Amino acid sequence: MLVEINVNGEPKSADVPPETTLLKMLREDLGLTGAKLGCDVGDCGTCTVIVDGVSVNSCLMMAARANGSNVTTIEGLANANELHPLQEKFEEHGALQCGFCGPGMLISAKSLLDRNPEPTVFEVRDALAGNLCRCTGYTKIIEAVMDAGREMRSGQSGA
Amino acid sequence: MATRTKDIRTDTEELLTEAKAPSQQPLTVPTDKPVAYPLDLPEGEARLRTPAVGQRASRPDGRLHGLGQTQYIDDITFPHMLHAKILRSEYPHAKILSIDTSEAEKMPGVLATLTGDEIPENSFGPTFQDQPVLAYPIVRHRGDGVAAVAAVTEQQATDALEKIKVEYEPLPHVFDPLEALEDDSPKVHGDTNIYTSKTIKKGDVEKALKESEHVFHRQFRTQMVEHVPLEPHASIASWDGNGRVTLWTSLGRITLGREDLARTLKMPQSKIRLIGTVVGGNFGGKNEITNEPILALLSKKAARPVKSVFTRGDEFISSTIRHPFTMDYTTGVDSDGKILARKIRLVLDGGAYCSWTGTTIGKGSILAPGPYNIDNILVEAFAVYTNKTTTGAMRGFGAPQVCFAYESQMDDIADALGIDPLEIRLRNGFSENSLSPTSQTLQSVALKESLTQAAERFGWKEWQE
Amino acid sequence: MKQRGRGMACMWYPIGFTVAANPSAATVKVNTDGTATLLTGTVETGQGALTVLGQIAAETLGLATDDVHVVSGDTDVTPMDTGAIASRTTYVTGNAIVRAAEKAREILFEAAAPLLKVKPDQLEARDKRIQVLGFPSSSIPIAEAVQHSEGVLGNPAIGSASYNPPTVEMDPETGQGKPFNTYVYATQIADVEVDDETGEVEVLKIVAVHDCGTPINPMLVEGQIQGGISMGVGFALQEEILFEEGRQINPNLTNYIMPTSLDMPELEVGLVDNYDPTGPFGAKGAGEPTAVPTAAAIMNAIHDAVGVRITALPATAERVLGAIIEKQEAERAAPQ
Repeated sequence: MLVEINVNGEPKSADVPPETTLLKMLREDLGLTGAKLGCDVGDCGTCTVIVDGVSVNSCLMMAARANGSNVTTIEGLANANELHPLQEKFEEHGALQCGFCGPGMLISAKSLLDRNPEPTVFEVRDALAGNLCRCTGYTKIIEAVMDAGREMRSGQSGA
Repeated sequence: MATRTKDIRTDTEELLTEAKAPSQQPLTVPTDKPVAYPLDLPEGEARLRTPAVGQRASRPDGRLHGLGQTQYIDDITFPHMLHAKILRSEYPHAKILSIDTSEAEKMPGVLATLTGDEIPENSFGPTFQDQPVLAYPIVRHRGDGVAAVAAVTEQQATDALEKIKVEYEPLPHVFDPLEALEDDSPKVHGDTNIYTSKTIKKGDVEKALKESEHVFHRQFRTQMVEHVPLEPHASIASWDGNGRVTLWTSLGRITLGREDLARTLKMPQSKIRLIGTVVGGNFGGKNEITNEPILALLSKKAARPVKSVFTRGDEFISSTIRHPFTMDYTTGVDSDGKILARKIRLVLDGGAYCSWTGTTIGKGSILAPGPYNIDNILVEAFAVYTNKTTTGAMRGFGAPQVCFAYESQMDDIADALGIDPLEIRLRNGFSENSLSPTSQTLQSVALKESLTQAAERFGWKEWQE
Repeated sequence: MKQRGRGMACMWYPIGFTVAANPSAATVKVNTDGTATLLTGTVETGQGALTVLGQIAAETLGLATDDVHVVSGDTDVTPMDTGAIASRTTYVTGNAIVRAAEKAREILFEAAAPLLKVKPDQLEARDKRIQVLGFPSSSIPIAEAVQHSEGVLGNPAIGSASYNPPTVEMDPETGQGKPFNTYVYATQIADVEVDDETGEVEVLKIVAVHDCGTPINPMLVEGQIQGGISMGVGFALQEEILFEEGRQINPNLTNYIMPTSLDMPELEVGLVDNYDPTGPFGAKGAGEPTAVPTAAAIMNAIHDAVGVRITALPATAERVLGAIIEKQEAERAAPQ
């Protein structure tokens, strides 16, 4: 069946079997391998993407259900001239180690900062609670998100 | 003719001169479209500074991670690539009477199957080669793979697994490590379940215990835990027309991996190539081969690249886990809390196969007395087989387990004698040139510094409760 | 009622394999523009090894971190390496890299010496230049030295070397010997709150002070310590594979509980100022030691808070509450 979605501002479509998840469609049919397969049952958060403004575990969403939606993946955060402040701060703080949780973590963080530009540390922890990380202990990730929030509020970036 | 050549040369020179002139137009790229990479971004400043040691340099892969550009094994695909799935044992200990893959082979999309008897050398292991690539004829834990299938899609491979018929004859099993120590326990391999032991002996521990003012005894136990790397184990195998096989793998030790593949496939090392990309977390669990020989053989049979990614369930039941330790600590101290003697017995639950147990028992035994000056030490450690998930290397090789025991007991001693926990550690702790439990002279010792600095940062002396 | 407690734990941990040979080999090539390539057989498993190894090569050659490109993980291309295991990468592979880079550097010194009118052993590589010891204004850029060495003298600046930590076999009966060449030390102190009615333990803060020799990249060492502590917290309080008749009953992330961002305490991380002359630029290692003392520190803090000694991990709420109740009953039963 044909599924049409708008990914990172571009219309995309693919002909997929009905049981295909949005994650599989993004990774295998559209070549967007940023979102990862960590558990396939919505426990780890490595597949997190934004669908119509809400962050979701794309392994739990059928591709068909996303038909006609606006989807943002990690590939849509940076533009040709600059990184998203979150990507910048994650790099500066050394927030990612093996990086596997990174795309999901960044998308969840973006989703948080989009709706709450001035979060407390607890609110950051809470927003990221669905994204597991085994390498970092979350500390530098949280610092980077707080720092990115500060930068976005001061209007120094265009993102 | 000569004139024409001269004209051509002039034209060319002019063209070259034009080409060298930098473009006057600034580069414009639409900023609202997704990109593969932003252009011309500066590197983090710390990366550009000298001297290099001590800089908080950002990682080059850090930027790629943030962009989602890092290619893990599962992100790589090849034309005509197949997907493999592994069928795992239904019993913790059993003999395989027969395996029939004929129905599976007829399933749509299936291009190859594999069982243990097809593997040229069906054994591997970092210390003892007691682990099969695909178990045959004996399975020793529920995570043992018994057959593999390669098909065009993952779903087809999973469906085909259900058609593989395996006949098992269950054998007596043993799960408890203390039970496994007994002579009359069911045996996992050979004649005894104790497959490795270690002794560290210094001074005269029995005499020193008798002379101690106070003797403390306790048993401590730790549990089975898994590494949980966010990236499951993944590999891709592919051959070329010269009979050379390449494996892209999440293995953390490719030199050893190549040796293992040469051994299990009975091939020369020069015909094997292992490529390790960025691994999504290892922590010790990706330090030995898992699927690689299976994929190499499936790929050869099907004449196509074959990929396999562990499911999260596979990660738990089939990859290695941390050794549960049962630790008996008997410590004798004088009235000032100075440790005179320490007697330790460690029993390691070694799972179904040896894996990294040799290293774990070795390190665990050496570290077990703790970073303390003790003249009389006896450590006796045993690793036993049980019909459970293979225990292997996991961040610490026995250190977290023994540290839990020796530091808990340290506080017990401090509490009983009314000594401050910081003070008792400073009294007993290693200094430069202290002797280790194996009588090694220790150098570059920073134990007491770490104690006092941590205590200061924490506000240990000021703590009110 | 919530009870507060503090507990400390210190530890020691070795670098490298137990007695057994665990060599690493490395190759360093310097390019004609003064940048360089490092070939190492280790694999990046997330800890940042390639960044650190690049820094070690850069330091030996007098370059900046960004000048060195690190190639790793291909058995066709990179030399052998025993692997990223046993916290050995910075120390063993690092030492191999120092030796390899020194060989490449020696070729450059041989080429630069006559240009600077001194002997090769009077030179050092610093700030992207080859300069005379004690008289740094007499110097040439590294790029020039490479171009001269390769393009004029015909000696490309390339060096390969290996390293294996020296050990002494352990006696089979007494275990006496020298199994490792160096060890690291650390202390972690935990501040916890225990609810004595539910047994729930909340770790409020952990202070960790670790010795890793010279921190080649302090940011990455901090990351290792923070990550190690998160595994330690999980080991102490949450994680357990449950078995029934040899079958795992929780082989998934819903029922295998591990730390999320909400479970992590506030962390304060410090490094002891130490230098190990046997390590590359004084460095030792940090990968595993970080996960070692956490559980012990938390158990000691629980003991301080509610007076119970947990002897089996993990210290789940049920176990802690069970121990508290047992203690209360024992106190009630004790003669007055």
